[in-house]
Amino acid sequence: MEAALTAAAAAIAVGGCGSSSSGGNGPVTLKLVAADYGTGPKNTSQKYWQSIATAFHRANPKITVKVTTINWNNFDNQVQTMVQNHQFPDITEGDYFSQYAQQGLLYPASQVLSNTGNLLPVFKSQGSYNNTQYGMPFTTSTRTLFYNKKLFAQAHISGPPTTWAQVQADAAKIKALGKIGFGLPLGPEEAQAEALLWFLGDGGGYMKGSNWTINSPQNAAALTFLKGMVNAGDTEPNPATKNRTTLWEQFAAGKIGMINGSPALLPIIKSGGSLGPKDWGSVPIAGKTGALNSTLGVCDNVAAFKQNGHQAAIKKFLDFAYQDKYQLQFVKEYQLLPATTSASNTLKSSPTYGSFFKALPKSVQYPSAPAWAQVKTQIQNQLGTALSGNPSKVLSSIQQVAQKS
Amino acid sequence: MTAVATTPKRRLAGVKQALRPLPWIGPAVALIVAIVLWPVVVMVKTSFTNIASDGFSTGGAGWKNYHSLLQEPALGGVVVRTLLWVALVVGVTMVIALALAQLFNTRFPGRRIARSALIAPWAASVMVTALVFRWALDPNSGAINVVLHAFGIVHQMGSHQADWLGSPGTAMICMMGVAVFVSLPFSTYALLAGLQGIPDEVHEAARVDGAGRWRSYLSVTLPLLRPSLLVATLINIINVFNSFPIIWEMTRGGPGYSTSTSTTMMFILKQSWVGESAALSVANFVLVVIIALAFLRVTTKDGGLG
Repeated sequence: MEAALTAAAAAIAVGGCGSSSSGGNGPVTLKLVAADYGTGPKNTSQKYWQSIATAFHRANPKITVKVTTINWNNFDNQVQTMVQNHQFPDITEGDYFSQYAQQGLLYPASQVLSNTGNLLPVFKSQGSYNNTQYGMPFTTSTRTLFYNKKLFAQAHISGPPTTWAQVQADAAKIKALGKIGFGLPLGPEEAQAEALLWFLGDGGGYMKGSNWTINSPQNAAALTFLKGMVNAGDTEPNPATKNRTTLWEQFAAGKIGMINGSPALLPIIKSGGSLGPKDWGSVPIAGKTGALNSTLGVCDNVAAFKQNGHQAAIKKFLDFAYQDKYQLQFVKEYQLLPATTSASNTLKSSPTYGSFFKALPKSVQYPSAPAWAQVKTQIQNQLGTALSGNPSKVLSSIQQVAQKS
Repeated sequence: MTAVATTPKRRLAGVKQALRPLPWIGPAVALIVAIVLWPVVVMVKTSFTNIASDGFSTGGAGWKNYHSLLQEPALGGVVVRTLLWVALVVGVTMVIALALAQLFNTRFPGRRIARSALIAPWAASVMVTALVFRWALDPNSGAINVVLHAFGIVHQMGSHQADWLGSPGTAMICMMGVAVFVSLPFSTYALLAGLQGIPDEVHEAARVDGAGRWRSYLSVTLPLLRPSLLVATLINIINVFNSFPIIWEMTRGGPGYSTSTSTTMMFILKQSWVGESAALSVANFVLVVIIALAFLRVTTKDGGLG
């Protein structure tokens, strides 16, 4: 089955080679800029993309793909700087900037990918502007609450929490063991995800319809609750300066009782070596009065920039890179979920991924408004200050940015 | 009549005379214009332009960027922090450097090794130094915390107390320490050079006149050291004011702007508001120029730079 697909894709690629149209018949170099999902030199995404680029170059000798991978902490900033300086990449994979679609900098998905129908439909609207899809999901994930069963047993807690009150009570008991109760990454790396998981807990969120609702009373209440947890010492110290990567590693080392995570936490737990397969569990995110029945679904997107005029070459490369085998290789490497229907179908019955897949169709996505990139930057830089300051005031200043941009 | 006739000729000769060095200094001037002056022009232009976060200009902005900069609620705190940052880092650096220079000016066994060891923080990239300190201060496993824990100063690893870079107050103090550490080598060597330029005779004369060591240092050494002290202070002020990698690598200026100086704030603003960031750059630039001019005036009056 997989071999047949590969052969078909190769045929498409070879066929495309004959009718090369972009930039005449001369050699083309594509600049690919991707976020690095790896945790070190061993599993850096540079390797993943370079292997695709090398295989692609073998099939299309006239097209060279130059791969650059950037640490997640710097990805947004560096891509934004490239664009601000008009040194456009051809393809990006990672965070997606809807304002670039608004400005007409991107190719519509249909012009750079043959089978756009194969992309998971749940994420279509997030990558769309004016009903045209520009952002193409490449990898996806859903969030769940991870908890350390060993610590729960030591603290005599019967089961995982479903409500905020239980989270706080359980965190306090784990803290009494000299460990960190709840890992709360509200530092700049991914504050927008952690915050949203709490906002959803009492019916808040970033947008309702086409209106920004960042300063809603629900969001303020969620932050006030978190502030209480932080002041009680139920979280790690100074959550506004702590990032997801660091805390996930500490959870994997058995130092944290509970943390919100994605399947990407699985390989970190495995390589950490302190938690066996039965020492941790993963359940729906806790809410104010009960566990959430819809969680945050995150997808990282591919976007193709117009400025260098490499449409045909980009299309050939993306058709090549979106093959099931590369999607599955990515899943295997980073334990994230695939972004195409065909690749997902092969994993639906898997015991590891099944539960995450079930959560995908009813998942909540980030706003698709062009101002989101700006808002996200503000959330990353400012939201954490609500824990030591005034939550409503911080939320209002972010809301102002959203309405201004 | 004759005077009128000769003036243009003389003027022409004067211009010729003035242009004569051009072939020699021309390349240098061109280089300065291209890589120093032109970016300044672009920066000022940008600060008066409306620029979207994706780098496309949407026309003039008048004073709007400056206006929104002044409206930033964090600006006041950032200005105060910047002043404290410069004053404390430069002040502490110069005091320690004076002592170190004095030490290195006396003969003792191993002086050569000690002198070259001092170059290390200068030779290492500031970013690397900042990273090393960030890791050493890690609340869970940082080397500094491990030592402090062993001495019983830090009671529990991973606690609030061990998280030096987590709260803005202690983070600023740690970063100032790193800034002093990387500023010391240059300052010490500048002062050491000054010390070596002071002839032994003046100290001898002071001794003959009955001056004690301390008196001789205050009345002879320090005044003679003034030119190198001024130059080192000026260069330090500009360097420390513009210092970016230390703060960026250790706290990213956050959370919010709570550990930012105006230099890191400029960079954080740039991500979303290019024009406003340029306005802050202009303000920073003007400030540095004023400091430089003030010090140049003081030092040239002294004949110190000659």
